[in-house]
Amino acid sequence: MRRGWTRIRLISVVLLGVIAISWAGFSIVSHELSSGKTTIIYVPKTIDPTIEFWQVMRQGVASAAKEFDAEIEVMGTRAEVDVDEQIALLQEAIKKKPKAIILAATDYNRIVPVAKEIVAAGITLITVDSGLNGGISKSFIGTDNTDAGRRTAEILRMHVDSHAEIAVINFVKESATAMERESGTLEILRRYGNYTLLGPYYSNGSVQTAYDIAKSLLKTKPNLKAIIGLNEPTTYGIGKAIQDLKMQSQVVAVGIDSSMGEIRMLEDGVLLATVIQKPFNMGYSAVKTAVEAIDGKRVSPRIDTGSKVITKENMYSSENQKLLFPFVE
Amino acid sequence: MNGWNPLRHHSIHTHIAIAFSCLILCTTALLSYSTYKLSSDAVTHNSLEYTSQLIEQVKVNIQTYISNMESIAALAMRSNDLQRYLKQNEPAFVKLLMKKQVSQYFNSIVTSRDDISSILFISDRGDEIVSNREHADFNSIAQIKEQDWYKKVIGTDQAYISSSHVQRIFRDEYRWVVSISRELPATDDTIGGVLLVDLNYKLINNLCKQIELGKRGYVFIVDPTGDLVYHPQQQLVYSQLKSEQLDKVLQTWNGSMTLGEGSDKKIYTVDTTSFGWKIVSVTYPDELVGNKRQIQYTSALWGILCLIAALAISIVLSYALTKPLKKLEMNMKLAERGDFDIRVEIDNTNEIGKLARTFNIMISKIKELMNQVVEEQEMKRVSELKALQAQIQPHFLYNTLDSIIWMAEMGKMEEVVDMTSALSKLLRSTISKGDELIPISVELEHIHNYLTIQKMRYRKKFTYSIDVDEDIGNCQILKLVLQPIVENAIYHGMKHKPEAGHIRITGKRVDDDIELQVIDDGIGMDSEQAGTLLERKVASKSGNGVGVVNVDHRIKLNFGGAYGLRFESELEEGMIVTLRIPLLRLEDEA
Repeated sequence: MRRGWTRIRLISVVLLGVIAISWAGFSIVSHELSSGKTTIIYVPKTIDPTIEFWQVMRQGVASAAKEFDAEIEVMGTRAEVDVDEQIALLQEAIKKKPKAIILAATDYNRIVPVAKEIVAAGITLITVDSGLNGGISKSFIGTDNTDAGRRTAEILRMHVDSHAEIAVINFVKESATAMERESGTLEILRRYGNYTLLGPYYSNGSVQTAYDIAKSLLKTKPNLKAIIGLNEPTTYGIGKAIQDLKMQSQVVAVGIDSSMGEIRMLEDGVLLATVIQKPFNMGYSAVKTAVEAIDGKRVSPRIDTGSKVITKENMYSSENQKLLFPFVE
Repeated sequence: MNGWNPLRHHSIHTHIAIAFSCLILCTTALLSYSTYKLSSDAVTHNSLEYTSQLIEQVKVNIQTYISNMESIAALAMRSNDLQRYLKQNEPAFVKLLMKKQVSQYFNSIVTSRDDISSILFISDRGDEIVSNREHADFNSIAQIKEQDWYKKVIGTDQAYISSSHVQRIFRDEYRWVVSISRELPATDDTIGGVLLVDLNYKLINNLCKQIELGKRGYVFIVDPTGDLVYHPQQQLVYSQLKSEQLDKVLQTWNGSMTLGEGSDKKIYTVDTTSFGWKIVSVTYPDELVGNKRQIQYTSALWGILCLIAALAISIVLSYALTKPLKKLEMNMKLAERGDFDIRVEIDNTNEIGKLARTFNIMISKIKELMNQVVEEQEMKRVSELKALQAQIQPHFLYNTLDSIIWMAEMGKMEEVVDMTSALSKLLRSTISKGDELIPISVELEHIHNYLTIQKMRYRKKFTYSIDVDEDIGNCQILKLVLQPIVENAIYHGMKHKPEAGHIRITGKRVDDDIELQVIDDGIGMDSEQAGTLLERKVASKSGNGVGVVNVDHRIKLNFGGAYGLRFESELEEGMIVTLRIPLLRLEDEA
């Protein structure tokens, strides 16, 4: 009987071994087959195809998605100002249970509750371009706006004498971006020279308001040598006012961000310089960071994608061409 | 104990199964590995081949675009309208007309082809521009002339091919193009200038973008100065977030190289166009490995499946092989317990089959021997009984008692006493139980008594003498073996002889045996008849020889076939009966 048992035991051990090996093999294979791509939902401020900034950021997102083998779903609102719709979209996104959400928040404060829901649902949250109050996201990828603000002032130092009057027109008070830029600009203006600082004024992001403010400044302040605009519509309004009053020989403008109008102004010498962001890099870094965070790597809570000062002289360098004239199909 | 053997306690079945399993495991592992190795090498090779074919294709396409542009430039330069337009001495209105015609001609080319975005001629003096658009809003001449395609072509007779750039000819228009320009040198009667043909960059972009090189692989194009014409992540390269080994690429004309370490390892495959652009494909060996991994899994999967099948077969096979052995073992166990009626039924002709047959033969032989032993024991018992009976034949007793009575009537008291005492001794030694083996001296004493009685009964019929060596007196002999021989000599030799005969009993040692002989000079028999005396198992009519045959039988049973009786005789000459037994001294028995 003992021998019979030995044999049964041996056979069962062999069979168990075989089953274990095959199970391991199958599980590895099936794991390989089933482990799908990393799904990431990308929520830009807008999916408006005419707004180049977001188109280029999307190129960066797509490029990184290919490189890091992530599957990206884009969920965006038509208009950049539609905060409620973005909240609704984010709630929808949570239901899809992605591994990560990359968000460009349309509002610094109002998005926070839904952002907390995202984090509570165990989804990695990465903010890009515009962050959230309280730093809820795992990482914020965007331009260092304080630094961008500093650069607008620094470029002026070389072109305006130290006793000049300089006006600063910001866009909104409530925006963290705006405040950071403003603080950077003011920091440099106060640190160097004996500038007479006018403003900051607030354009509410409107070309017309900026134009009106600039026009009245140009008319009433004879010693005004330069106006700094802290976002694209503001800068455009300023440039338009200078052009209309034909004062480009006396007053220069410096701006942030670019548009066709601004490029024209750069070429025409109305705009001395503009500080531009790198949306492609933002999109790329956001996905890269999201993938790293999903993989459990430590990610920096703040990633600066940098900015670049563009002047008439360097605007056609092969490097800056790409930033200024992104190739968008 | 010859060393430690882990398999010592396992059955052959286990041994075979383990040996098979090991063998199969090794073979499968080896095969799977080599399959994987071969396939992965093939995959690597194929993908490299595929990559180089792909970029060759890109190169051909781009060369086609560029050469088309070159031929369009050549065509435009030779056009009559342009030649007339360039003539210095033509009147202004003719020049204006010619300008319009050239413009229309350029336009017809641009509209007929979607790869050309603009054609333009700019004169080196007078700063005149003729483009495919008749009423275009141009940027300032100075702005246009500071572009590379103008600056770099002046003073050369070669066409200049720019990298990808934003064209700044038309106001508020920023198109990505690749420019090809050519100088038309001024002659005595014509003005000089530069002809520009712009290729729509979209074509190159789309061409390169659609190329799939694994998941992460891509194609980029670099011009001979190291300027990136196309790169899917150009902005990352400019921001130093990414880097390409451009210096190494620029040194390579054609071929592949592996650069970088670890997960950053990339394979650069370079091909160079006729005008110096380098088409570079970047692939990640990791991805090939990804492909390899699939092969790995496939070969592992098949390996495991084969292994399972083979292991199952090995178990079944080893069981089938050892099954007859088990059967044999079981039967041997039965035999061990004493069952000799079994037969192992194994139909194989192999070693085990032979073993089984040998075992069967052995078992039947044992059985036969066992039966023989039983039979012999039985015969021994019967013979002894017969021997006993032979001694006390009632007939002999009656005759002897008759003789005593007769002698007593005759008053021969002395003879009566002799005979009676001999009979008494004879009966005592016969009836006395005791051992089967007795000393020769006792047996001779017995014979002496017997002969005394017989001699009295057959008065003057015979005489006898006993002549046995003293030193064998205490050797062992079977009880009552001599009497039947002597009896035979009297009844068949002496009784019918007219005159008195003589019976002589001798005994001596021959080598390690003892030979006792009963020699008579009676009527004897012919030698042939003497030779067959022992073959009679059943007594002849006259009862002749029954006792003798029994004696021979008893000796053979006790001492073996080499011993027994031998008869030598001639008719009328007498007979010699030789009894041969082994030399067994009394002490040996003790």
